[in-house]
Order: sequence, then C-alpha cells, then structure tokens
Amino acid sequence: MAQKNPPDREMLESMYSMLALVFILVACVELCDAATVVDVYRLIQYDISGVPFGSRLASLNHHAGSLHFSPGADLSRTVVMIPVRELNISFVKEYIYRNQPLGGLLFLLPEMFRLENESGGGSSSEVQEIQLIKNVLLELERLLIHAKVPYPVYFAFENDEIDAVLNDVKKNDATGQPATATTGGYKLVVSTAEAKKVASPTITNIQVPMQFFFVLFIKIKGWLQGLRAEGDANQLPTIAIVASYDTFGAAPALSAGSDSNGSGVVALLEIARLFSRLYSNPKTRGSYNLLFGLTSGGPYNYNGTHKWLRSFDQRLRESIDYAICLNSVGSWNNELLIHVSKPPENAYIKQIFEGFSSVAEALGFKVGLKHKKINISNPRVAWEHEQFSRLRVTAATLSELSVAPELLESTGGLLDSRHFVDETAIIRSVKLVAESLGRHIYGYQGKNINIFADNSSLAVNPSYVRSWLDLLSRTPRVAPFLSKNDPFIMALQKELADHTDEVNVQHEVLDGMFTFYDSIRARLNIYQVASVTFDLLLLLALGSYLIVLFSFLVITTRGLDDLISLFRRPPSRKVKTA
Amino acid sequence: MTIFHFFNCAILTFGPHAVYYSATPLSEYDTLGTSIKAALVYLGTALVKLVCLATFLKVSETDNFDPYQELLKALIGFIDVAGLYFALTQLTHRNISQNHKFQAVGLGWAFADSVLHRLAPLWVGARGLEFTWDYILQGLEANANLVLSISLAALGSLMWLRKNKPKTLIPIIYACAVIVATMPSITSYLRRGLGWHFPKVVGFELFTSLVMAFISWQLFAACQRPSS
Repeated sequence: MAQKNPPDREMLESMYSMLALVFILVACVELCDAATVVDVYRLIQYDISGVPFGSRLASLNHHAGSLHFSPGADLSRTVVMIPVRELNISFVKEYIYRNQPLGGLLFLLPEMFRLENESGGGSSSEVQEIQLIKNVLLELERLLIHAKVPYPVYFAFENDEIDAVLNDVKKNDATGQPATATTGGYKLVVSTAEAKKVASPTITNIQVPMQFFFVLFIKIKGWLQGLRAEGDANQLPTIAIVASYDTFGAAPALSAGSDSNGSGVVALLEIARLFSRLYSNPKTRGSYNLLFGLTSGGPYNYNGTHKWLRSFDQRLRESIDYAICLNSVGSWNNELLIHVSKPPENAYIKQIFEGFSSVAEALGFKVGLKHKKINISNPRVAWEHEQFSRLRVTAATLSELSVAPELLESTGGLLDSRHFVDETAIIRSVKLVAESLGRHIYGYQGKNINIFADNSSLAVNPSYVRSWLDLLSRTPRVAPFLSKNDPFIMALQKELADHTDEVNVQHEVLDGMFTFYDSIRARLNIYQVASVTFDLLLLLALGSYLIVLFSFLVITTRGLDDLISLFRRPPSRKVKTA
Repeated sequence: MTIFHFFNCAILTFGPHAVYYSATPLSEYDTLGTSIKAALVYLGTALVKLVCLATFLKVSETDNFDPYQELLKALIGFIDVAGLYFALTQLTHRNISQNHKFQAVGLGWAFADSVLHRLAPLWVGARGLEFTWDYILQGLEANANLVLSISLAALGSLMWLRKNKPKTLIPIIYACAVIVATMPSITSYLRRGLGWHFPKVVGFELFTSLVMAFISWQLFAACQRPSS
C-alpha cells in the first residue's frame, strides 16, 4: 500500500492539471444557448448642443416584467415588456417624466411594422386596428424622442416566441410574484458595448479641423439641361425640384419614412424620369434648365439644403426661377397645400399657385395656399423652401401637412410605414407637379392641354412609383447611420444618372449641434432562469439524498453498528482518514 | 447563481460515486487503484467503440429510429462487455476479494462514463443563464448508470470468475447480463423509436436499474451460498 501510493498520487496530480487545463479551455468558450433570440432596435440616442436625449444606455441584463405588476413594486431591476397594442401611455409618461427607476423598456410592435414585409404582412383589419391607436403611438414616439431616458429602451416585433414569454410573464405578475432573482422567471439580456458617438473616420480629409464630430451629408442632384438656344445653357432660367430623403425616428433602424419623405423622393424620381424623356429629344427640350436635388439633413432644419445652396455659385443661384420642394405627398385625399413664405400677393407666388390650381382642378382635387412668414432670428427651419427663401430664391413646398412640423417631427418615424401610404396619392402629386411644370416650361399656362396624359408615352408609370416606394419603405435612412457608399445612395445616384446629364454627389458635414450615438440594433437573448431559492432547495434535497444513500450503503454492507460507530467515534475516524 | 446550479448538478452526477466508494468497504480495502484501472480500460474501450461506430455507422440526418443501424449499434455496444471482461479477468488486481473487485471495477467504469459523457455538457450547459431540467435529469441518469454498471460487473464476475455456481442459475445470469448490456440500445429505442420524452426515459432507467440491481444481488447471494 505504501509502495503503491506515490505513483497513484503522481497520476492523480497529472490528471488534475490536465483537468484544470481542459476547464480553462472550456471556460473561454462564450455561451449562447438562449431559449429565444430576437432582433431588437434601440431607441435613438443623441445630443442637441450637448444636451442629452433618448435612451442613454445600450446593454441590458434584467428580469422581464409586464404592465400587470403589483402596485408599489420596485421596477428598478425589471425590464417592462409593453406590447404597443395595449400601450398605457400614462404609465410611460409617469415613469419618464418623474424619472422613476426602471431596468429598461421593451416595446413590442405588431409584425406588420417589420420593414421587410411592407406588402405581405398586415391585413386590412390589422391596419385599421393600428389606425385606432395611431395617436397614442405618435404621442409615445414624441415622448421618447424628446425625453432623456437613463435606461435602455428597445423595440422588437411580436412573434410567437416572444408572445409566449410575455404570457408567462403576465401570469407570474398576475399571481403577485414579480420576477426577481429569488423567484425566477425570464431574463432579458442584450450584451453590447456602450454606444459610441458616430464619427466618420473618412471625413478627416475635409479640412474642418475644429469640427467636434462629423456626419456625412450627401446630396444628389441631377441636371436636365434645357434647349441651348444661343450659346450657354447656363443663361437659361432654372426650375429646381427638391426633396429631402433622410429620416429621423424613435428607432433609427426602423425609420423608413414611407410618407415623410419617401413619397417626395418617389415623386421626384418619377418627375425626373418623365422630363428626361422630353429633354432627351432636342425637339421637345424646353427653354428651362431643370435641377433635381435630393437633399439630406431634412430633420435637422434642412441643414443639407442649406449647405447645398451655399455651395452654388452666384450666377446659378440667380438663374433659379423658382424651386418646388416635395414633402409628404403620399397620404392625402382631396387637398394638397402649397406652403410659401412670401405673401400670396407676390407675382411669382401667384403665378405658381395659379398654375398648380388649374391643373389640380382638371385632375379633380384642390390645392390650397398657405403662407408662413420666416423669422430670421429663429434657427428653426420648418419647411425646405424656407432655406431657399432665406437666400431670396422663390420657392414653395408641396405637402399634405397643414401646419409646419416641429423639430424632429413628421420626419418618418415608426408609424410612417408603407401601410399608410397611398400610391395613387403619389401618382396624383406627380401628375400635378409634372403637368404644371410642363405647362410653365412650354408656355401653355391656362390652356387645357395634357402633356403627361394617361396612356400616352409620357404617362406616369404606376409600377415604377410602386417599386421605388417599396424600396424606400424598407430602407431606414437616418443620415448619421447612412454611410458614404451606402447601397441605397448608390441606387439613387444610378437611377438619376440614367435620367440626367450629370449627377453630382456632394459630401458635407452636419453642423455641430447634433451628436448621434451608434448601436442602433442588437440581438436580445431571452433566458428562462431558475431562482436562487430553487437551487437552494435542490442543494438541500441532493444533500439529504446523498446522506440517505450513504447510510443505506453503510447499513447494507457493514451493518447498522458500523454507521452508529461512525458518529460515536469521530476522532478515531479523523486519524484514519488523515 | 448559475455556478451554483452547476455545482448542484455536478453533485447529483458525481456525488453518488464518491458516496459509494466511501460508504462501502471499498474505501477500507483501498481499491482506488482498481477503480482507476477500470476507468482507464473504459477509456480504451470507448475509443475502440468510437472507431467502430465511425467505421460501420452511417451518419443519420434525421432523428428517426433505424432498426438495422440500431442493431449494429447494439452489437458495437457489446464491446463494452469485452472491456469489462478484460478489466475483471486480465488486470492484475491486488488480492482483493471478488466481492470488492467487481464493485471497484463497476464504480470506476461508471465514473469514467460519467466524466466522459456528462462533464462537458454539464460545464457548458448548466453554467448558462437558461434554466432547463435536462441537467438534473442527466444527473439522475448518471445514478442509474452507476447502478447498472455495478450490476453488470457483478453479473460478469459471476460469469467469468466464479466457477462453482448452481447450474440452474447460469441461463438467468446470462439473460440478465444481456439485458443490462443492451440497456443503452433499449433507452435509445424508447427515446427515438417510441418518442418518449427525456423525463420518462430517465424514470424508466432508474426503475430498471433498481430492478436489475435487485436481481443481480439475489443471484450473487444465491451463488455465494454453496461456496460458503
């Protein structure tokens, strides 16, 4: 026995070291075997002039709770899951305005809001259901965007798995057992690094060394040159058609903005296509230059438009006869509004308005004129045409919105999905703009001539409109998160290049007022967890099982006396084992 | 908390082996060496089995029960019996009684099986946040396996080591040995052929292991009588 021991021990020791090595190797492997993994989209996080807004945290690791929590419960370590169908806005308001502690918020959006299935999902009854809670959702989005939320807020889509989890959580809450470490339940985990400021490393080439951070601004403009009557086309007057294409919303990864301003972009592309057919033939080329501009930075006081106009040379700026800005033209019924900042008595405005309203009359709807003065001292630019007006260029915005939106509103948020956009409205808007421009360019004002009549070779193409609208409705376009070479921007560029003589892409930097933070999408792991109490009980049960087993084996193999003697003479036992 | 759960499951999986060793006279006669040798033999057997499985078995894409494949698997499973035979008869044990030898071999055998098949999944799975009953059930399965291994070792020692046993008992001993040796195939059939769920299978295993242990104990006692 004494001879045998040393090799045994040596062997054991080598085994231990090997085991330890194996353990260390295995411990390095990250575990990811959650019951459910879902894509989640984070609430936007941004600063305006250093003042923080939005959700200030990204990583999440708390138990799940529902709205059915017992009153007075401490929710500071609970993620409250709220399906927006049964949203209780007063709860959210109370918690956000009073700065009450929460572990986090997870809003569950109906499946029909998923960007990928803009045509498939969402029956008409579902759409109607959402219409009913539309105001609540709008209020929620406004609330979240303008509040500073010190915990993570995520959006997810309802599916069967997450519904099952929610039902379990509700059941638990209903029985008055809030999910905590001692009672088990579900744990929601988003393991992500804290959000970093969005900074574009490529921009360092641009010589703005004092810039605090950089965001790319990309504007795409296309030219259709008019008839070169005598010499230079630059001497011809120019008509600009402009739409801003980027969006802003509570969840940047979901802000596709079908109406604001996807509809405007689609209308612009279709108008460009129509006029390119006329302008490709020298015989039908008009005596005006047409300038198409897709601008970025719309939600931020049309900062991109501002930069773009500043980059014009004096001659070009003076040659612009007027500019038509397209904004939210996708869901109106029988009245569109022309927003202007010059008084309606102004001769140019009168001319534009009369041109539009005569065409609208022929098409069977009304066009209204709305005047809003510009307050130069106010930094807020509510309409895109105001940027033109500030530079004394005649301009108007065509829109279905009747009042000027506030900052970061009506910029293509969560609710602005494909379901609420009517492509016939866009088609009618296209007809209106194209027809009035055509009559103006070819000098047919006041005459009832249809240049872009249906069934002619110049008719508006509904499938073109629909396919572009579908593409825009599934492409989130929040400017800070669109890279310089984003496929979407390339696609726009290519599309315009097909229609126009030259396309210029201009990259700029957003003025330093806004700072954005990344990690806009993440993956949420949902774990079903057992409580500490359960493990304690399990330990007790196992301990007693082993003790019973031990006693049973001792009694059967050595007899009861031996077992009793074990307890009677512990010291001798100790000596023996040592 | 999850480390806690891991420890619980580990206690359930490996605790009974330790308790068995310390509670029975095995510890008094210091049969650890025998158990370790048996465990090493198990490792060798497992390797041979793996090579055989890899050579002769097709990888099934589906989880269906294929009788031919399962038969082959059961035949390969008998390599275990060969390994056990080697451990019981060919290894030079210090002169411990047959009584203790088969227990030590069975214990080493079962422990090696648990370490090989259950430690890694336990370490990876039970430490995760997600809670499932699987690892507790797996621990119970390890207990059943311990009982079955010792029963098989007992039957093996009766078959190969004891010469003067009652003739009438020999067929029963062989039948029981075959049943115990085919246990893995039987559970696999229950799980995949009949679609039983894991808890039910584990319950069945626990029940049969107790029954087989009782039978082999009785057989062992019956064979003991004439010699003593």
